[in-house]
Amino acid sequence: MDSITTAASVVAAGLAVGLGAIGPGIGQGSAAQGAVEGIARQPEAEGKIRGTLLLSFAFMESLTIYGLVVALVLLFANPFAG
Amino acid sequence: MSTLRKTLKKSPFGEASEVQMHNEISQKTEKATHSVSSEDSLQDASTEYVQLQRRIFQSTLIVSALVVVLTAFFVGIYFSMSVLFGALSGMLYLRLLARSIGRLGVQSGSVSKAQLLVPVVLVLAVTRLPHLELLPSLLGFLLYKPSLVIQYLLKP
Repeated sequence: MDSITTAASVVAAGLAVGLGAIGPGIGQGSAAQGAVEGIARQPEAEGKIRGTLLLSFAFMESLTIYGLVVALVLLFANPFAG
Repeated sequence: MSTLRKTLKKSPFGEASEVQMHNEISQKTEKATHSVSSEDSLQDASTEYVQLQRRIFQSTLIVSALVVVLTAFFVGIYFSMSVLFGALSGMLYLRLLARSIGRLGVQSGSVSKAQLLVPVVLVLAVTRLPHLELLPSLLGFLLYKPSLVIQYLLKP
């Protein structure tokens, strides 16, 4: 792998993780805030709130995982490496 | 009514103190009943979450087993092994996520990010081990998503 490909891969990996974590991070923070407020207001609905939170977190965090996987592939299994 | 007045008159503390005692006793009884019912509802809520987790894991297990068997028949054994490896790590990821969500608001104020180590370890292991492939492993890892959708379609 030549030096330009290596440098581009490292920069792209960093951007993939960093940019991919911004949106889900904000979304997860607001979702967790809403869930904790909901549990505090209505403790008897805790099970349903936690279940919905689990579903939404699983789908939100998969966006972060996509970026993470792209970054790891670029670093450890780069398809552009000659 | 007359018997109540008689008993109030007979009371050594007087009428007002007797009424106050009655009020206090009824308030204490109401509080005890309310706290017992709220404890019951909290226990029901935590039991509901545990049952939801169990249902999600069962559906993930069923979907993963189905996909592993189908890929073993129609694609190949190494592809199927990769899917199985990814599905197992997906279940571990979902277990860690469910546990950290269960702790939210009780033991910690935020959801932990330890579960994100699972896909990292998965990709590193797949790139190191010779018989495993990357794309089938990722397919197996993401099998928890259709099982979540199926589970919520069956029992919303």
